[in-house]
Amino acid sequence: MRDAFPPSRYRQRLRQGVDRLATALITAGGIGVIVAVLGIGVFLAVEVVPLFWASGVAGTVNIDALWLPQTYAGLDTPQFRWQPAAAMPDETPRYSMAPLAWGTLKAALWALVIAVPLALGAAIHSAMYMPRRLRSRLKPTLELMEALPGVVIGFIAGLVLAPWVERHLAGAFTLVLVMIPGLFAAGMLRARLPRPWRARLTLGWAGLWLMPWLLLLGVAAFELAPWLEARWFDDDLRGWLATRFGLDYASRNALIVGLAMGIAVMPSIYALAEDALSGVPSSLAEGAEALGATRWQALWRVVLPAASPGVLSAVMIGAGRAVGETMIVLMASGNTALMTLSPLEGMRSLAASIAIELPEAAPGGTHYRLLLMAALLLFVFTFLVNTLAEVVRTRLRRRYRRLGGA
Amino acid sequence: MAMSKQRGFPRGEGPWPWLTAGSVAISLLMLGALLLLLAVRGLGHFWPAPVTLVELQDGSRFAGMAVKEAPLPGGGGEERLYHTANRDLEGSPWTWVEVATIEAERHPDDLVVLERQRWGAFHGRLMALRGGDDGVEGQRKVGREDALVEGEAAWQSLVARLAELEALRNELARLRDDTILPLASRLADGENATLAAELARAEARLRELQMTMESGEVLLESVDGTRLWQPIEGIVRAQRPNAMSVPDKLAAWGQGVWRFLAEGPRAANSAGGVWPAIFGTVLMVLLMSVLVAPFGVLAAIYLNEVAHQGRMTRLVRIAVRNLAGVPSIVYGVFGLGVFVYGIGGSLDEWFFADTLPSPTFGTGGLLWASLTLALLTLPVVIVATEEGLARIPDHQREGALALGATRLEMLTRVVLPMATPAMLTGMILAVARAAGEVAPLMLVGVAKLAPQVPVDGNFPFLHLERKFMHLGYHIYDTAFHGSDVQAALPLAYATALLLVLVILGLNLTAIFLRHHLRSRHGRLPRH
Repeated sequence: MRDAFPPSRYRQRLRQGVDRLATALITAGGIGVIVAVLGIGVFLAVEVVPLFWASGVAGTVNIDALWLPQTYAGLDTPQFRWQPAAAMPDETPRYSMAPLAWGTLKAALWALVIAVPLALGAAIHSAMYMPRRLRSRLKPTLELMEALPGVVIGFIAGLVLAPWVERHLAGAFTLVLVMIPGLFAAGMLRARLPRPWRARLTLGWAGLWLMPWLLLLGVAAFELAPWLEARWFDDDLRGWLATRFGLDYASRNALIVGLAMGIAVMPSIYALAEDALSGVPSSLAEGAEALGATRWQALWRVVLPAASPGVLSAVMIGAGRAVGETMIVLMASGNTALMTLSPLEGMRSLAASIAIELPEAAPGGTHYRLLLMAALLLFVFTFLVNTLAEVVRTRLRRRYRRLGGA
Repeated sequence: MAMSKQRGFPRGEGPWPWLTAGSVAISLLMLGALLLLLAVRGLGHFWPAPVTLVELQDGSRFAGMAVKEAPLPGGGGEERLYHTANRDLEGSPWTWVEVATIEAERHPDDLVVLERQRWGAFHGRLMALRGGDDGVEGQRKVGREDALVEGEAAWQSLVARLAELEALRNELARLRDDTILPLASRLADGENATLAAELARAEARLRELQMTMESGEVLLESVDGTRLWQPIEGIVRAQRPNAMSVPDKLAAWGQGVWRFLAEGPRAANSAGGVWPAIFGTVLMVLLMSVLVAPFGVLAAIYLNEVAHQGRMTRLVRIAVRNLAGVPSIVYGVFGLGVFVYGIGGSLDEWFFADTLPSPTFGTGGLLWASLTLALLTLPVVIVATEEGLARIPDHQREGALALGATRLEMLTRVVLPMATPAMLTGMILAVARAAGEVAPLMLVGVAKLAPQVPVDGNFPFLHLERKFMHLGYHIYDTAFHGSDVQAALPLAYATALLLVLVILGLNLTAIFLRHHLRSRHGRLPRH
């Protein structure tokens, strides 16, 4: 036993020296790593600034040209155009960031339209109604869903889902239409069932036993679709959309992107929202229920207001992810830089433009710097949104602690 | 919330809870459908599908596999897509026919499906084989022009010949990799008579092998009667799917899966396997782990154990956490601008100036891709490790310090061993994220087709500057950039399934580890 003897003074000093050295190394390394990671923003800013700064140099652009409609030769009205590589040798490339930013926001918005109801519904159900055992299984399953790579989801969306929906447009439309009444019907039918059946089909396990019911609804919707199409849409939904609303249906459109990206974004919103909801001190909901509220009323009046900042921050983080997602938009959106409101047409997002164009752009050129500016926009946007969400969540945690929960 | 009183239905909940339950069910259904689709399409591709001989009302015939059906434009019936192969005879390997015009469908046993190195697959009948193997090694070249075998015997000798070819190909590859290439590189270093003689001998053997392989042709006839001669060495695989029994098909399926995993891509990525992509993905991820593990742990230890815990540390912590949410393409841009153009460009100027117009490190490559992904996953590792460190009760640290340990000893003997599962979890999550990330790689070094894997027998063995193939990018490329998307689709499915399996496996490991960690240290308060 070496340590049984008092260590010599020399050894002692060596140990302390090594310790001081190691601490210094850890400090240097840690600070170095953190600075390197944070350096991303600095790098992007440094590369973008010359775009606006260096006056007189070929390749400066002004902010108006990027964000306002421009009059181009050969077109009568001012328009937004993103055509970085000129088609004709004598044409000038057209740089307008507006359609790209618009495409990014449009894709993210539709993704949120799909993901937020799904994620919040699932979070509410698993926080309020689900038995603990099922909940502890559901969370890792949805975490696995989060881990699905974007390239796989984009591939399925672009090459399987998009052509399928195009062929079965009426069926898909009917499916959406049938879904919500079908779920209400499930609840009503269950109430009519004899008691032993009802005892088995509890609301807590409804997430599982509703799956075959939904499949049944799907089949029914597709049976119903031709009839519905004939009755309301002159037997041709696509033609009806075109003549009635002037909507062109592009195979790879914003709705497909929204659905695919919704699937990708939904699990992270779910996880954070579920954390926020189940973190609400249980005494609050129990108090409400003791006063005679149903669980839904307790949720709506007590739990949800208490957890609303956390839910909001979950949605914000989801928005941040949807804005930056590259592969899904790249593969499922058609990548045409349009500025339309129609959800049935494609778009081109900032991230997808970077992925497609940056390898070909000459380093240091205007196009290159503009793409870097696109990256800077994405960086700043997601960083701000995430920071805000984080601050909100920290506040919320403090509030829960004050309320005496968790 | 305890659910023990869930027997029956709490009175008057109303319809809304059913919607929330429905959203759980929809999410699970979507996940299940996605995985099922990938599994069925990805694995089903290797199953030898029966070939149908279709006769149309106008008298034309073709042999193919039905792929899908779609309603005719303008309504009124369905049309069906057949994979009819024979691109060299008919121009396109696909045929759309109106279902109503089909006169008869049969499945004759003698239809063969050949997978060829050029022109894709062939569907038809095997008529004859000449110059084939008559069993004796030495006699093959003598009089091979007249040895014409027909009928069933032709099929038997084709199967035997293909097995032999496979062995010859393996021997050829071994000879080239183990003997000729090392000899050639040693010769390049210094002239040596014995080495030169050895090389000449090996090359003679190589030529001999190639000669042996170039023997024999088969006479093929498509179902509509067109004939062609096909050299046997251009055939990869021959099957008669209609004559196969279920165990035969199972064996063929296993072989197909194995080939997919072990072979390189052919025909502009629309056929063959994904071995280089698997290799590239794994190598890149390994390199990334080697880079990210020490730095991530270092930063976490600094933040949690060394740095003064104050406002500044809290801000840095929030910032690091948020960097995990910054889009991956932004990291790709950073990698391209700083690593490739910045550092890589300077390296080229200093060390590789003689080859300069063509860049060495100044273009995307393995090293830059790994570095970029390491940066991308750094926040994941830092956050996970920090979480593990924060879970360790302070009295453990204080106990160690009270016994006279220095801070370094306290860290290495007490804190780090306890935090190991957390670090592992972080690493696995990082690897899972990196394996599925494609967008940044498109900027910093992934290649559509990289015939040379980045590891070989030439100094310095690991070629960090080379481009590499990646499973995720392979999916994107086969599915969106191929000339024949329909043909590449099954391979894209299989690749996607492979990628998803790898990532799910890694994530399950991480979830298991985290569970283990939580049950070991108990639930400590969140900070």
